Amino acid sequence: MRTKILGALALALLAGCATPPPPAPGSAASKVVALGDMKNIEVGAMRVARENGFLTVNVQLNNTSSYNKPMYYRFAWLGNDGFPVADAEGWKSVTLYGSQTSYLPAIAPVPKATDFRLEVKTP
Amino acid sequence: MLSIRLCSIAAVALLATGCANNSPSLGSKNISYGDTKAVETVTNEFGSTDLQMIAESMTRSLAQSGILQGRPVVQVYDVKNKTSEYIDTREITTSIKTQLMKSGTARFASDNTQMQSQVDQLKLQNQSGLYKQSTVSKTGNMIAAKYRLEGSISSIVKRSSDYKDVFYKFSLQLIDVESGLAEWMDEKEIRKTTER
Repeated sequence: MRTKILGALALALLAGCATPPPPAPGSAASKVVALGDMKNIEVGAMRVARENGFLTVNVQLNNTSSYNKPMYYRFAWLGNDGFPVADAEGWKSVTLYGSQTSYLPAIAPVPKATDFRLEVKTP
Repeated sequence: MLSIRLCSIAAVALLATGCANNSPSLGSKNISYGDTKAVETVTNEFGSTDLQMIAESMTRSLAQSGILQGRPVVQVYDVKNKTSEYIDTREITTSIKTQLMKSGTARFASDNTQMQSQVDQLKLQNQSGLYKQSTVSKTGNMIAAKYRLEGSISSIVKRSSDYKDVFYKFSLQLIDVESGLAEWMDEKEIRKTTER
C-alpha cells in the first residue's frame, strides 16, 4: 500500500518536471518568441486586424511582478509561406511598470505581410 | 627519449592548431561587426536607434492611414533641425522615403537636392544634340507633386546633478499642395536619460 502511494507520488512529481506542451497553433502564445526567460511578463490577448491594406497588431503585456521590468521587443512580419517579407526591425526598448498592463501596437511595413511574430528579450 | 620528443612535438602541434584562426576573417580581435538593429545607448545624443524608430513609426503610420490612395506623387522637404545638436536630418528623410517606397504607397518627385541633376540631365539630352531623338526624354513632361511632406525635430534638455534628460519630438505632416491643407500629421517622442 505504502509503495503504491509512493509510486503514485513519484509519478506525479515526474509529470510536474515534464516539459510543457507546445502552444496550440494560432494561439497568442504561439506568436511570441521569447529570447531568454520571460519571468513575470505575461503575454495577454492579441488583436490582429487589416486596416487600409496593412496588418495591424496590438499585443497586451502584463507585468505580474510589482517591480519595473525593462525589456526589448520587435515584430517580425511573415508572408503566407511563413518567411519574413521585410527586413528585420530595430529593437525597441520599453519598461513595464510594476503590475502594469501595457499594449504594444504595430503596423506591418508592407501589405503582403499576413502573419507576425513578437520577439521579446528580457535583459 | 625519442617517444618523449615525439609526444612533446605532437603536444606543441596541437596547441598551435588550437591557436590558429579557423574563421574566414583576418584582423584585430578588438574590432567586430555589430547588429545594426541593436538598441544603441552609447551616449545621450541622437543615435541610430532614434533614427530607426522615427523612420519606422512615421512611415508605417502614414502608409496605413489610407491618405495615400493610388500612389500619389509626394515632394519631400528637408526635416528642420530645431535641436542644439548636429543631426543629419536628410538621413531621416531618406529612410522615410525608402520605407514608403518599399511599402508601395507613394511615389516621389525630385526634391531640392536632386533637382539640379535632374535639370542637368534633361538639358543634356535635349539641347546638346548628342542623343538620338527617339530615345530622348522630352522637357515639359515631369510629374508635379500632389503632396508635400515636411517635418521638424526639436529637443528639450534638462540637467541636474543626478540626471541628464533629453526629450526629442519629431513631427511630420503631409500637406496637399493645391489646397494647402494638412491631410495627415503624426509625431514621435523619444526620451533618453543618463543617470550619473
